Amino acid sequence: MDALEICYMSAGQLSGLIKSKEISPVEVIDAHLARIEATEPVLNSFITLLPDEARAAARRAEADIQAGKYRGPLHGIPVGLKDLFNTAGVRTTSGSKIFDNFIPTEDCTVAIKFREAGSILLGKLNMHQFAYGPTGENPDYGHMHNPWDPELVTGGSSGGSGSATVAGQCTITTGSDTGGSVRIPAALCGIVGLKPTYGLVSRFGLTPLSWSLDHPGPMVRTVEDAALAMNVMAGHDPKDVASAKVDVPDYTTALTGDVRGLRIGVPEEYFDAPLDPQVGQAVRDALDLLESMGAVVKPVSFPMFKDAFPISTAILMAEASAYHRDLLTKDAEQLYPPIRLRLEAGLFISSADYLRAQQARTLFDRQARQLLEDVDLLAGPTEPVTAPQLLATRVQAGETSMGTTPALTQYTRPYNITGMPAISIPCGFSEAGLPFALQLAGRPFDELTVLRAAHAYEQATDWHKRRPPI
Amino acid sequence: MPENSRLSKDAFLFMAASAGIDVSGEHGEDLFAIVQATLAGLDSLKDIDVTDTEPDMSFAPEGA
Repeated sequence: MDALEICYMSAGQLSGLIKSKEISPVEVIDAHLARIEATEPVLNSFITLLPDEARAAARRAEADIQAGKYRGPLHGIPVGLKDLFNTAGVRTTSGSKIFDNFIPTEDCTVAIKFREAGSILLGKLNMHQFAYGPTGENPDYGHMHNPWDPELVTGGSSGGSGSATVAGQCTITTGSDTGGSVRIPAALCGIVGLKPTYGLVSRFGLTPLSWSLDHPGPMVRTVEDAALAMNVMAGHDPKDVASAKVDVPDYTTALTGDVRGLRIGVPEEYFDAPLDPQVGQAVRDALDLLESMGAVVKPVSFPMFKDAFPISTAILMAEASAYHRDLLTKDAEQLYPPIRLRLEAGLFISSADYLRAQQARTLFDRQARQLLEDVDLLAGPTEPVTAPQLLATRVQAGETSMGTTPALTQYTRPYNITGMPAISIPCGFSEAGLPFALQLAGRPFDELTVLRAAHAYEQATDWHKRRPPI
Repeated sequence: MPENSRLSKDAFLFMAASAGIDVSGEHGEDLFAIVQATLAGLDSLKDIDVTDTEPDMSFAPEGA
């Protein structure tokens, strides 16, 4: 079987071939390691590669499967973890040389779950330093590069996860999403990124950015793979104080292809915000398609959308600075200067401002939940623009020139504030060949509906089948 | 610098010293600018009527 074709198979496709012994996990891992070797000099997706460990794990998986001990759909599937997911015995840098030699003694819960499912860890993925930025900049381990055009950002903070997934370096990767860090790189790289409901996937063993906004989630090439990954990642974890005690369904049951009767609300405010007209048109076309498939698409009003940025900023900056305060006193000079400035600035946010933002968050959440009493999903763009140039501090969103960070997080922050599940899926390409993305958000713990709509749209289009030129 | 500066330079320097932050040289000027911009960006929080609204501190999702 052609090695590149193996690298572009979904976990759903690979698992069938692995289970039937038509392909060996060793063959799968070798194909991916070759793909990484060929593309990594351009992309820089990884901070730490684990070729020997991955090959050894693949041989064990092969032996187990030959012996009839098949563990399930992720057995033998190549996985990459963002480098703030602790891995026992494997360094975990959080994207900073300050932690270049930090080797955890304990796995994070997500790593344990993937290992128990039989997945094979290929390595630890590059990221915006300490996950504190939406572009994928990292001077310590090198910037991440977008496979559609290496002069452009991957998006961040889980940038290595985005580039590795769309370039066929990994089948499944993980990200953590505090203001959009799963969905932003998913959108700018043209893959699927799911930010699950807050509390559904354990944060145990992840370096925090903002305790009340952090959401780990999968980054994959198909919605089916998001469902398969969630079947492994989701579930109560007593080691995470915010972990929810909820039943975890089989998320693949959502993949019906049927959206008839599904009510999709489109906040009018999303299209009043700065937005590249090409992106706006692509999202409207996607909604038209869903409507033609039987969904009921209607405009709704989300007046507090405009308040997402200050609410999120106050909470995120204050919590990030509180967590990293020791770094600021001991290692400030070693921090990437923009990260150092943001962390230090967070110390100037008063407790009164922080608590006012949390009060406003209550109202914001209430308004979003009220919207979801009348509709099943909220829809809009994931990003107002396509991938910006590396290190660009401003972008042009329609007629508005704005800062890169507020632009890239404009549509993603609201669902970190509310904790609601939100998915980004490809919904078109620009004239320059860069991906656009549709965002769908649902009620807390209703990932099934989010996945159902995303999958139906995906199956009706071919956007997810396009491959970057690398 | 925003016109409605919320923090004087003296107050900034006092708070920086209290927090143990080095604000010497160009870095200090950069930090003062970003602090001013950040606080100005939070001004709109004052326009939200939060009367009788408790902060969402625990943020425990349903089922937690």
